[in-house]
Amino acid sequence: MSCWKTASGIEFDMKALGIDIGSLTTKAVILDSGQIIASSVIATGEEAEQSARTAVNEVLKQAGLKLDGGVAIVSTGVGIKDLFPGQQSKSLTTCLARGIHRLFPSVRTSIDMGAESSTVIRVNERGRLNDWVNQDKCAAGTGIFLQQMARLMQIPLAEMATLSLQAKGRADISSTCAVFAESEVISHVHREPPTPKEDIVAGIYYSVVSRVVSLCKRIGIERDVAVTGGVALNRGLVKILESELGLAVLVPEKPQLVAALGAAVVAQENIERGIGR
Amino acid sequence: MTASEARSNRISAIIRACRIITRMSQANPDAPKSDVLYYKMLSDYYTRLLNAHDEGKFIAAHTVFFPSEILYAMDIVPMHTETTTWMMALFLGGQAEILSAGAELGLVPEICSPHRGLAGAFSLGVLPRPDAMLWSNLICDNTAKSGELVMELNKCPGFFLDHPFQRSEAEDKYLVSELEDMIHFLEEKSGRMMDWDKLSDIVARMDYQTELFREIGELRKAVPSPFPNRGFLQLLTVDYLCPGQPEAIAYLETLRDELAEMVRQGKGAVSPERFRLMTLFVPPMYLMGLIEKLGHEYGVVSVVEPLFTRWAEGRLDPSKPLESVARKAAMMPERRSMYGPLGQEALQDLIDCAEQYKVDGAVYWAFMGCRHTCATVKLFKDVLNEVDVPVLTIDCDIVDPTINSEEEIRGKLEQFFELLEDR
Repeated sequence: MSCWKTASGIEFDMKALGIDIGSLTTKAVILDSGQIIASSVIATGEEAEQSARTAVNEVLKQAGLKLDGGVAIVSTGVGIKDLFPGQQSKSLTTCLARGIHRLFPSVRTSIDMGAESSTVIRVNERGRLNDWVNQDKCAAGTGIFLQQMARLMQIPLAEMATLSLQAKGRADISSTCAVFAESEVISHVHREPPTPKEDIVAGIYYSVVSRVVSLCKRIGIERDVAVTGGVALNRGLVKILESELGLAVLVPEKPQLVAALGAAVVAQENIERGIGR
Repeated sequence: MTASEARSNRISAIIRACRIITRMSQANPDAPKSDVLYYKMLSDYYTRLLNAHDEGKFIAAHTVFFPSEILYAMDIVPMHTETTTWMMALFLGGQAEILSAGAELGLVPEICSPHRGLAGAFSLGVLPRPDAMLWSNLICDNTAKSGELVMELNKCPGFFLDHPFQRSEAEDKYLVSELEDMIHFLEEKSGRMMDWDKLSDIVARMDYQTELFREIGELRKAVPSPFPNRGFLQLLTVDYLCPGQPEAIAYLETLRDELAEMVRQGKGAVSPERFRLMTLFVPPMYLMGLIEKLGHEYGVVSVVEPLFTRWAEGRLDPSKPLESVARKAAMMPERRSMYGPLGQEALQDLIDCAEQYKVDGAVYWAFMGCRHTCATVKLFKDVLNEVDVPVLTIDCDIVDPTINSEEEIRGKLEQFFELLEDR
């Protein structure tokens, strides 16, 4: 139990709530004494503010709590500030570092593959961010790019992973531009004979992975390495990433929740340090 | 509007902007006197340029890192092309028009924007027409093509000053011979003779000027550091436009005295000072206001810029003026880390800076147009990481605002300040 004392000596039980407002999904986590007691993932609607409220209400309901001053809130992701009383905002990289350290304290490099950007962070032994680099100039190398490719090939996203594991070869797909990559995929589909779907999917994954691996090389890879974000749920892509990095990576059970968890960890630290009450 | 009117309008607008800032600074009792001198220096420089042809003077356009001391000694009016381009961007916000004109000449966005801009500005006819174009290969690679392009656009003669890449006695002699050839070229084209006594005087002042730069550098080591983030560009400009000129000395002496007084009183440029930064390369000039604002908001101050404001030890000898002009090129901060074989000495200097200036973090403004400098990003970052200095690298452009949004740069800086706070 995380308690704090008022000046008159009354003890309150505080819970730590973290929100990560992403461009595709909004995630929320509640921690009590370091344990996750509730979590939610909802699609981010047109109004990010409304999505944040919905995600928070859902975790509060799961945990049987109310926003009555007994919850410390830290948010990250799309910049929504001052939505909840006493809410603090932290950068995505800080939250990713705290989140992955909470799950895997041995991790020193973590690759976050989100909907609109990929970020590689270096974490120290205290879970503090040492360095980061992100790919935010082009959709190539992101979750949205994979979604777009799935739509283009008329294959459900989940099936793409299975297909890639069956590939015998790999189509060459540009890793520098999402628009060019799309044209290349179309030409692979329509050429005579068409490139096998499995090989096209493997090529798409390689193009994403090569982009991410170049980020890793820029920042330097130190073991252990973890992969987080929604794209980490894709087994086929993670397998190719492992092969390109030449090492096994750690993937959390719910990789899309790591930043929200990290935000909750910061909220927990705030409770312990008496900040934001 | 005629081309001649367009020229007058742009330069006049820079002069007007400088004069307004000068008057505002004079009227503000809290404004540093050095600011008044700095903006007066700029307005005088551009007034000389604007009136040059009417007064029968010869205008020599030149690229960055060019020894304009020679021009001052010959009573030739210098026009620093890259600085004038970014002055237009800073004061007039006219980047889009001149960069677009540069694009029409075939210059792609990956090319250095001050060079795209200067080509565009000459093409639009918004810079005074030079009587000669001078350029060198010192530090900047883009100058080679810009020099030829400016000659072609203005149908003027030009001279390429060849700087040796390595340094040795033989190469120093070669550079002196190149300077002699350039003086002959200028004498022939302008009809003006070199005034060697004047050059000696300029060298004597330049020697003092480098001492002033070093003194200012020493004062910035104080905790809290007294020099504001926006001051970095002023230090660059003063040497780029007015090397060894009395107005440069007056500005630097006043600035030194103001900083010394602040140090004596324990005052910092930001209060409270929380983080001391090393700045590598140049921040986007059109975002200097944002950087200054964030500095105050987060208590962040740039205390050292090893690539641009840290002059090497050494003296200039007025009795050997040409040798001294050549020697100055070797002492320039830019030469030490961005030109010539990059050795352990330059890397050690970064480590020394980090320690001496008690640096908490470094920001590398990776200007994509300056490719040879960007080659050092990883090298510098690794060296600084070894002494526990985190480095933020921001891919950017120093003049073209279409490459990054202000929001993106603000986000990255805030993230970095959070990292520093969290350590």
